[in-house]
Formats: sequence, C-alpha cells, structure tokens
Amino acid sequence: MLAYAVKRALGAIPTLFILLTLAFFLIRLAPGGPFDAERQLPPEIEANLNQKYHLDEPLYQQYGRYLWDIARGDFGPSFQYRDLTVNQLIADGFPVSLRLGLMSLLFALFFGVMLGTLAALRQNSAADYGLMTVAMLGVSIPNYVLAPLMILVFAVYQGWLPAGGLGGWQNYVMPVLALGTAMMAYIARLTRGSMIEVLRSNFIRTARAKGLPLRLLLFRHALPAAMVPVVSFLGPATAGIITGSVVIETIFGIPGLGRYFVQGALNRDYTLVMGVVLFYGMLIIVFNFIVDLLYAWLDPRVKYA
Amino acid sequence: MIDFCSRKLLIVVLCLPLLAACGNGKQDEAPAQSRNAPLINKDGSTVLRRGNGAEPETLDPHRAQSVNSSNILRDIYEGLVSEAPDGELVPGAAARWEISEDLRTYTFYLREEAHWSNGEPVTAADFVYGLRRCVDPATGSVYAEILTPIENAKVIIAGEAAPETLGVKALSDHVLEIRLKAPTPYFLGLLAHSSAYPAHQASVEKHGDQFTQPGNHVSNGAYQITDWVVASHITLERNPHYWDNDNSGVDVVKYLPIENAESEFKRYLAGELDMTSTLPIPQIEWAQKNLPQDYQKYPFLGVYYYGLNLTRAPFKDNPELRRALSLALDREIITEKVTRGDQIPAYSWVPPGVSDYQPAEASFAGWSREKRIEEARRLYREAGYSDENPLEVELRYNTSEGHKKIATAIASMWKTTLGAKVVMVNEEWKVFLQNVNTKKVTQVYRSGWIGDYNDANTFLELMHSKFGLNGTGYSNPQYDAYLDAASHESDINRRRELMHQAEQVLLEDMPVIPIYHYVGTRLVKPYIKGFVGNIMGHFYSKHLSIRATAGAGDAQTAGMQ
Repeated sequence: MLAYAVKRALGAIPTLFILLTLAFFLIRLAPGGPFDAERQLPPEIEANLNQKYHLDEPLYQQYGRYLWDIARGDFGPSFQYRDLTVNQLIADGFPVSLRLGLMSLLFALFFGVMLGTLAALRQNSAADYGLMTVAMLGVSIPNYVLAPLMILVFAVYQGWLPAGGLGGWQNYVMPVLALGTAMMAYIARLTRGSMIEVLRSNFIRTARAKGLPLRLLLFRHALPAAMVPVVSFLGPATAGIITGSVVIETIFGIPGLGRYFVQGALNRDYTLVMGVVLFYGMLIIVFNFIVDLLYAWLDPRVKYA
Repeated sequence: MIDFCSRKLLIVVLCLPLLAACGNGKQDEAPAQSRNAPLINKDGSTVLRRGNGAEPETLDPHRAQSVNSSNILRDIYEGLVSEAPDGELVPGAAARWEISEDLRTYTFYLREEAHWSNGEPVTAADFVYGLRRCVDPATGSVYAEILTPIENAKVIIAGEAAPETLGVKALSDHVLEIRLKAPTPYFLGLLAHSSAYPAHQASVEKHGDQFTQPGNHVSNGAYQITDWVVASHITLERNPHYWDNDNSGVDVVKYLPIENAESEFKRYLAGELDMTSTLPIPQIEWAQKNLPQDYQKYPFLGVYYYGLNLTRAPFKDNPELRRALSLALDREIITEKVTRGDQIPAYSWVPPGVSDYQPAEASFAGWSREKRIEEARRLYREAGYSDENPLEVELRYNTSEGHKKIATAIASMWKTTLGAKVVMVNEEWKVFLQNVNTKKVTQVYRSGWIGDYNDANTFLELMHSKFGLNGTGYSNPQYDAYLDAASHESDINRRRELMHQAEQVLLEDMPVIPIYHYVGTRLVKPYIKGFVGNIMGHFYSKHLSIRATAGAGDAQTAGMQ
C-alpha cells in the first residue's frame, strides 16, 4: 500500500512538470503583458518594472528562474496585486475555496445518493419520474443562471440570506446550493441507474430470500456496490467544483481562489496564473489518489500492489 | 419508513422551483423597508459600506493607478490640497500657500496640528520624501508623469537625474517650497492626486512592499486601515490623530470590492451596501422609477470616443472620410436608445463642466440631421468611396456588452447612411490594448478617457504627438504648438484661448470621433447625508455621515453582518 502511494507520488512529478511548462509558455504566448494599461507607462518606468520582475531576461532564463523558485516553494510576487505575493494570495484564498468546495461536494453526495436510491426503490413510479425530471432540470440549469436567480429570490425579495460576501454560515447557503445542485442531480441519476442494476443482482436476491430487513439490505449490501460509478465520478466532479467556483465566487463576492484563475489570466498576472494552475494540479492529483483508494475499499476485487 | 420519507422529500424537491417562481412574480416591488437601515456598531459607531468595483491593486499612493485604489487612498491620505464635497479645491495638509509672481514657486504652510496615524507630526520633509519617491524610477510609479510640471521631474523619471534634484525643498518643519519649470494653472489640482501624497519614510523603509498592510501602514488622512482581506473587504477606522476629526462624518468605512455591477446592485437592494460604485445600464430606468431617492446622477469628466488609426489606410491623409464617419453618427440615438443612461451627446473633445473652460464644438453641432447626412455623403464621395466602391473597415472593441451594443449601432449607422461595410472585431482587453498601441492592425477602435484632474489639459494633452498615449498616431504641428504655448502661458485668458484653438484644430482634423460625455450614476441610501455629485467622481467618506433619524430598533447591528 505504502509502495503504491510512493509510486503515485513519483508519477505525479512529471505530470506537474508538464503542466507547469505548458502554463508558463502558454500564458507568455498571449498578447499583451502585465503592465499594459490604457495609460501607457513611460518607457523608462516600464523598463524599470520589467527589470524588477525579471521580464527583461530571455524566456528560457525566466523559466529556469521560475522552476528554481517553485522548487523552493516560492510562487513569486503577484503582478496585479502589487503589495502581495502569490503564496499570500493562495494561503488566504484556498481555505475559503476548500470549505465551499467540500460543503458542495458533501451536499451533492448526500442528497444525490439519497434521491437516487429513493428513485431506484420505486422504479417507474410517479416518485421516480418526478425525481428524475427535477434531476434533469438540475443538470441542465447552469450555475451562472441559478446563482443570480437565487440571490434575487432569497436575498433581494425575501431577505432570508445575505446576497454576497463572507461572514457567517448564512453566506455559504446559496453558493453551496449553486455549486452543488448540478452535481447532486448528476449523482442522483448515476445512483439510480447503478442501484437498479445492483438490486436485480443475484447477491441481493439471495439476501432478500434470507429475509434481511430492507434497511440492512440497502446500507450494508446494495449501497457500497452501487457507489462504484459515483466514486469514479468524484474525480471529474472535483474539477467541476474548481471551474464552477470561478463563476460562483465572482457572483457571490467570495474571497476564494477560483476567481484568481480568470482574473490572473485577464490581467496577465503570470505568477498568479501559474501558481493557481500548479496548486490546483496538485490538488486534483491528490484527489484522484483518494478516489482510487476508495475504490479498493468499496470493491474487494480491486487491489493495489 | 421509506415510503413516508420519499413522499415528503418529493414534495419538498418539487416545491423548490415553485418557490423560485413565486419570487419572480414580485419583480417590480421595492425591497422590504427593514433592510433600508444603516449599520451601527454595538459601541454606537456608524459604518459606511461602499461598493468599490475591483480589488485595489495596491494601497501605495505612489504606485496606485486604478479608480478603486484612489477611492480608498483619498480616505487614508491627505495631500497639501484637498477637495470639498462639490470638488472645489480646499486646503488639506497645508493650511495656506503663496504663489510667486512668476507663478513658478509655490510655498506651502503646513498645519502644525496635522498628525500621522501613529501620532507623529506631518512635516514638510514627509512631502519631500513622498514627491521624490513618486518620481524615482525605482518606485515604478505609473502616474509619475502627472508631476512633470515640477522642476526636474521629467529627467528624474527618465533616470537621467537623481530624485534629490527634484524642485521641492523643506524650508522648515512646516514650510514646503515647490518650484515649477513653467507656470501651470492646474498645479494645485494635481496636488490633490495620490501621486502627490506624502509618505511616512520610517514605515516605508522598514516594511518595504508590505508597508500598506494593516498594522504596518502609517497614513495622514481622516482614516487608517484596520483590516484588509483580499477580495472581501478593506476596513478603515478613524485616524485618532487626524486634525479635522470634529468635522468628519462616519466612524468606520468598509470598502467591498465587487467587480460585477449586477452583483453590486443586488447587494445594495439586499441592504448590504450603503453606496454603490456604479449602476448597471439595464437597471438605470428601474432605479429612476423605483428608487428615486437613492438614484444619484452627476456629470462626470469623461469622454467615450472612437479613435481612428491615422498611420495606415483608410484614415491616413483622409480627413474627408474621418469627418464623413463622424457626421454620419446620430449621437442622440446612441444616448437615448442604446446607452440610455442620460449621457451627453459629444460634439466637443473636452467634456462640458470642466473648470474655467468652454469646450469648442464641431462645426456641425447645430446642423439638422438631414444636413449632416447630406454633408457626410458628399465627403464620403469626395474621399473616393461610392456604392460600387464602398469603404471596408474594421471596428475594434474590447469585450463588453455595452461596447458591443454601441458598436452595433454605429456600424449600422455607417452602413445605412454611407453604405460602408463595417466588420466588428471583439478582442480581449490586453490584446485590444496591444493592437491599439502598436497601430499595426487597428483601423477604428473604441476608447474612453477620464480626466485625471479638473482642467482641459488632461484631455487635450492626450492628442499631443509627444504624449505617450496616442493610439491614433495623430500629429499636427499646429495643434502641438497651441498646446505648448498654452503650457507656458501665465495669462489665464490667453491660455484658455490657446487651448480652445487647439481643440478646434482637433475637431477639424477629427482623429477621434467623440460619441458621448459620461455621467456618473450610482445608488446612495437616503439615510446617508452629505453626498454631493461632483465632476471628478471623488467622494471622501469623511464628508458623508449617517442620519440619526432611524430609530435604534431599525438599525442593523454589527452582529448580523
């Protein structure tokens, strides 16, 4: 098991290296630079800034310098937020994004699995059709439509929840719903499908014949088996949460990491974009590793050596 | 058990969209009254919550460039000269000043009662340090150029002289002398700009780039930074050592960076903001009708224009075509039907309302629409175009719904009036900027300019052939000569006359097509006292206070935030 973990960790290094290299050269390919603005800088001052941030060096030299800095855990200064470093921005933003992402994931998993199971148990009934219709709606409504609609209804008209910003738990309700709904709906559909299949399988029939109560049958035998496709979906789901947070954090004014993705790119904030890309890259690799471990736990046939 | 659960859940789930639909039906109703209450802390201090566009890029006064940064800097710093609520210049850190007869030496007498937020007195040396720091190339100031009227500033910025050679001198602790290279009538106005703010040398040198962080920051304005959470909020509290605390308004200011104007608008409606930074154009009509007490509109020193690249075809050496395109525009339709925000159709380059100047108008300003169209067609033919040989031109704009709408309207006006074939090209901001600056591919591009100070020069210098920002490549020696003469002219009337002549030359040459002059629109809660619209769009928090008429029960408590 430990050997497997080490193998995966070593395998991640080339992946991250390629990711970093691609990000570095792609952002440099984009026209315009961090100091381009409507009011152009006097050439002397621009030269001075370029020197300060080493932008006057040849690209390969900058790349080498960047790799060396990253190896020491230094993501460099932000070009846009001139009083701050990328390390500071990530350290401030990530906990917020993590909390939001985890809550959305748990919300989606809990309700998705529950609704999917209910629908499977009452397959082809009115309840099943009703739930699946709602789930289809949930999948189809993009979060950038859902979020402003929720703000209008729950914050502006009803005044039940704050419209944005970050303070107490109330501030998380709508962002979590907006970020998690589509995923919940998708998980509900996945669970329903795999649950129907599992409920028809031989080992469940045997368990039923032995007179096992429905509760035990479901939680001990059917659910773990039905969870395998849901778990495989968690990998892409994390990626979905990360891209979704780009939109949600902007709409709700949440000081997370997601918005830096887009803003960093728009401002040609080279160090910020690369820092966020690398950070999220690591995150996805770690998450995929956890998902693989979950597989082994859920499905006795899966073994890692 | 499952039966019961599933039924109950089903009902809840199915009801959710219905609930949303219910809310939709109430779209025209104003938000509930209870959310229209000011925020008052438990200790009785009043809080002003201001929407502030994007996150400020820095709170270093000498490196700041955005409106968002400047808004906050005006609250935490104070220049030699400050501004009254209506934008008039008033004494700031300097109680009074004297101007020499040749208009080139200014002597400022600083207030002895002015103090930094750490209690130290504000001295002339602090201003000397601040001004030198701004022009020092090592600082990397974007706005250093604004200080070029000061002796030697230009060569220092270019790195050809030491910052110590700048024409500023502390004659004593509280007397400061500034020498100019030529009489500059708008110089006092420049001193209210953040580039001319003082800096607290000891804390800047001790903390380096981090001197703006709460705890490190020492400032001399009415407020000081106490909390800064990037992308969430910046909180300012009263500077206990500020000299004019008795006449200052709110106790705490909370700046919220909300880039999305629609989000800001909704948070205002939900009672989470006391003042917005802008108002989304589609909401202006609704706000005028439903929130007449909150809706604030004021003329704003800015011009929205289309630049024409004069360095390549078809606009090179072709003033007829440039005039034809300008004449073919129906600016009234654009402001009334497209932008719909009470903007002023522009027939001059300098916006109306600028201090001590009457903008020149294009010759066709008073003509009827028919006459303009007739003349536009005549000039279009004269420039060599016809129905068989129509003008084919690219119109570039940066990504924004607003710019796109205007571009679509203008493209269709040029097509219907002249028969021109216009290709609209949408570009991402930085790509757009690079294309405009290099002048290799652009033909027509959208642009806008907001005045840095209240003087016609801030607009006119933009078109000077030597000015760094001139995407049109316009260069007319006569225009430059008028402006150069104006910049050395000590007689105010003569200077005004020279600038007027320059503007007339510009409007004849038409390297830029002015479309409309900006107006500022924003929402301010009726319980905020002291809000006065001003042409610079500068609103100092110390001028605003919260009306105490709201009963204690109505006010929100800090705990709810």
